[in-house]
Amino acid sequence: MNGSENTPPQTPDDGVQRDDPMIAAEWALGLLEGEELLAARGKYATDPAFAARKEWWDDWFAPLTDAIPGAEPRAQVWDGISARIAAQQAAAAPAGDAAVPTNVVALEARVRRWQWVAGLTSAAAAVALALFAFAPGRSPVETPAQIAAAAPMVATVPIGETGLRLDVTYIPESEKMLVAAIGLTADGVHDHELWLVPADGGALQSLGVVTPGEVRSMVLPAAITAKLGDGASLVLTREPIGGKPEGVDAGPVVAKGAFTPV
Amino acid sequence: MASRPRPSTAEAREALRDAMARLADGDQSALEEIYRATRVKLFGICLRILGDQKEAEDALQDVYVNLWQRADRYDPTRASPIAWLAAFARNRAIDRLRTGKVRGGAVPVEEAAPLADETPLADMLLVDAEQAAQIHKCLGGLDDRTQGHIRAAFFEGQTYAQLAEAADVPLGTMKSWIRRGLMRLRACLEASEVA
Repeated sequence: MNGSENTPPQTPDDGVQRDDPMIAAEWALGLLEGEELLAARGKYATDPAFAARKEWWDDWFAPLTDAIPGAEPRAQVWDGISARIAAQQAAAAPAGDAAVPTNVVALEARVRRWQWVAGLTSAAAAVALALFAFAPGRSPVETPAQIAAAAPMVATVPIGETGLRLDVTYIPESEKMLVAAIGLTADGVHDHELWLVPADGGALQSLGVVTPGEVRSMVLPAAITAKLGDGASLVLTREPIGGKPEGVDAGPVVAKGAFTPV
Repeated sequence: MASRPRPSTAEAREALRDAMARLADGDQSALEEIYRATRVKLFGICLRILGDQKEAEDALQDVYVNLWQRADRYDPTRASPIAWLAAFARNRAIDRLRTGKVRGGAVPVEEAAPLADETPLADMLLVDAEQAAQIHKCLGGLDDRTQGHIRAAFFEGQTYAQLAEAADVPLGTMKSWIRRGLMRLRACLEASEVA
């Protein structure tokens, strides 16, 4: 949990110690997938030594990109960037315009509710951390205090009649998502994979394999955050260990939930 | 984007570093400057990894919108700005490849390599030459097979499974080859840092 050189997981099929610095190298090269990728992202946020090693590899690999021929993007790309930034600014600062007092009120209400939710999330994380104390070798969740300050989206995914549920919290500006699968246990045969169902009816996007019994923080790529708005929902499918294999259909849906802003 | 006289590489790098610092301080006009200086290189990277014009353009937009949102992530005392941006863009493109439905690596590495008489576009910034020489030297010290697989992972965004399939070896063998290669690469690079 502290430092990056401890508890190297041994892989039986090769003679190389796969410690954290090796995982950082594999990540920098782009080789991690599924749960390993999620775990690495979580570790990057919580383990400075791991983050430094990842960046060390990124720096060294960067000159290789000089061998890639440059290409001129179409002019629409810059227009798109400008438009997205303008839209975000408009959404972030309605108070600057006296003509929209109702928005200001709405924003204030939203902020108050967010503070309330933040308190709840902290309490939940505190419980989770207390549980981690008995699970050595697991990386701890990032505290909600660190993951910050925009209105979050939350989704609860109840699992059948079991009373168990998955709590997913997404903090837009931080691009971070917290997946709490406390109470879930691994059966050793299956993994559960979480999918985003965009509100626009687009293709499902994998958010990765859920780690049972843990609260995990992950950084979402922009391709996903772009789809993650009010009305987006989540489904949880049962898959073979490691998540859905490439080229086959996803497994049965075992639970569903929808995102709502708070 | 009007063409302008090409500044020397050192000047261009300083201008970029300065623009990154201004962006972190909230100066929005800096973003357009950064875009103008780096779009060609970063789009080339996205295009190479994703192998699809539209996907690459979306990825490129994400890169700059993200940069604007979190300009403070760049630490000017650490990496050169273009090295940092190149890694940032490649990471974003790989993320898109791993989480989306895109079929990446559409362009085989040999085919997509720049032709001998093809010069980089005038405003394409390159990463520090000394650092480049070292990584090429260390990579060159690996056996050809391992080097080829590491390059395929880097340039085409291939996974262990794809590499193993292409080489027709068990997954565990491929992992072992690449991990041994990465260990040797790390030792070589670290030795160069001490020297």
